Amino acid sequence: MAISPPPVVKPVVFAEQSLYEVHKKVYPRSVTGIYANARWLMVWFTQLLFYGLCWLPWHGRQAVLFDLVARKFYVFGFVFWPQDVIYLAVLLIISAYSLFLFTAVGGRLWCGYACPQTVYTEIFLWIERKIEGDRAARIKLDAAAMSSRKVLLRAAKYGAWALLALWTGFTFVGYFTPIKTLWSSVFSFSLGPWEMFWILFYGTFTYIFAGHLREQVCKYMCPYARFQGVMFDPDTLTITYDETRGEPRGAHKKGDDYKAEGKGDCVDCGICVQVCPTGIDIRKGLQYECIGCAACIDACDQVMEKMGTPKGLIRYSTEHAIASHWGWRAIIQHIIRPRVLLYAAVLWAIIFAFIWGIATKSTLRVDVIRDRAVLAREVDNGMIENIYRLHLMNVSEHTRQYQITVRGLPGIQIIGQTVLELPMEADRTLMVQVQVPPESGKKGAHEIHFDFKDVSGETPLVSEEAKFFLP
Amino acid sequence: MNTTQNILSVVWTSFLVAGVAEGIFFTLIDPQLLYFLGEPVHFSTIGTYSIGFFFFWFLCLASSMVTCFLIRTESLSNDNQSTA
Repeated sequence: MAISPPPVVKPVVFAEQSLYEVHKKVYPRSVTGIYANARWLMVWFTQLLFYGLCWLPWHGRQAVLFDLVARKFYVFGFVFWPQDVIYLAVLLIISAYSLFLFTAVGGRLWCGYACPQTVYTEIFLWIERKIEGDRAARIKLDAAAMSSRKVLLRAAKYGAWALLALWTGFTFVGYFTPIKTLWSSVFSFSLGPWEMFWILFYGTFTYIFAGHLREQVCKYMCPYARFQGVMFDPDTLTITYDETRGEPRGAHKKGDDYKAEGKGDCVDCGICVQVCPTGIDIRKGLQYECIGCAACIDACDQVMEKMGTPKGLIRYSTEHAIASHWGWRAIIQHIIRPRVLLYAAVLWAIIFAFIWGIATKSTLRVDVIRDRAVLAREVDNGMIENIYRLHLMNVSEHTRQYQITVRGLPGIQIIGQTVLELPMEADRTLMVQVQVPPESGKKGAHEIHFDFKDVSGETPLVSEEAKFFLP
Repeated sequence: MNTTQNILSVVWTSFLVAGVAEGIFFTLIDPQLLYFLGEPVHFSTIGTYSIGFFFFWFLCLASSMVTCFLIRTESLSNDNQSTA
């Protein structure tokens, strides 16, 4: 009987056990294809919006300006005051639900195409590629000893990055301080200390995040990367390597029937790993590092085309679809499922409420407070009088005249001023005396309404309820 | 645990929470109405917002650092027994 050798005991080291492996620099290889084009389209769209929108004028002011000093947010024709914070909250809820919906349907679409981290990394990588060359050239340059050429290339790259980062910081601050004033104060060297600080702050972070940290931001800093898994289910579209088709992987010799040799479609060229911005191997299955950029799909499709095998060895597919070999029709049929319908329904309901709220938002704000010092009193002519404090706020961008009337009791009337002119974005408090004949109601509190009518007819009528007290 | 990752997770999470706190606080409270050591604040509005942000950030930073300190595993805390 053979004696089995004693098991080898490996020394166990408990000291400093890292949860993370040592960071290896990722050199993403450039990729072309339908998904790369889609990403560039999103880069152009989001960045034209970001760099451009702040320069757009609107009736003599910046169209989109979050004026922190005046505590007013201007978005085209709308002015939002601190009291309107509910709209911001609803906007955040809409964003969250959109993210849930998109993630449930198509996985990390946000990460792959629209996230600023992806977008700026893409732009910074483009600059890097233009200056230092593609993957192989960059690896070689990094490994090379310092030379005048290397210094020159590095200076050019870092310089170009810094310029773009500064412009990004400037644009960011330009959403909070009127950008044209900001621009002229840059050239007259009269930039405020805080403006200067925030331009540099935002610029520096853009530079570090997009230039150096890149995929580490997604892997270590992004909370969404950690919890997006809960929005996934077996019918969620993810970037998937078709293992049954690809394995066993291996090089194909020209002219050989690789299928007869028992080989799969994957030629193990490693290009899917080289193009990956997070440096993972998608063939190991879905991993939390995968940002869903589909660069490996584009790359693999090109290889498959060259090899003469059908495209889609790596493709958007679902867990169920891979297991049951579904076609596109079945996948799409399974996209519509209770979870997706629920997310979509809630999302549409909130969007509808948001639009309705904005569209019917009155530019006149009114508060009616009954003067508590005097409950009710009988005046000289025998009428009963209550006193109210009206607070009116014109949040429109025009001067408005308001006609104030009161209703709710027979013979009720306002004594004194009933027309009030308010300049744009101004407010005023008005004390009004309201009188009724003593026989107009029983003893006690009665519901009355103040109506505020814009004389120009631009603002819809605002009514405010109040209590009239009869002794 | 890796020091760089520790620093990143402490600094970054507190930055995010400070951003939220800043937004909520200054939406509800006009910086012009604040008092600083008994005197009405006389900084520029942007200055007040900025100082407020850093104040929140440092506060959150302190909290995150304490959390980070408390979740250290036994083997890390008992330095002298850490080798088997």
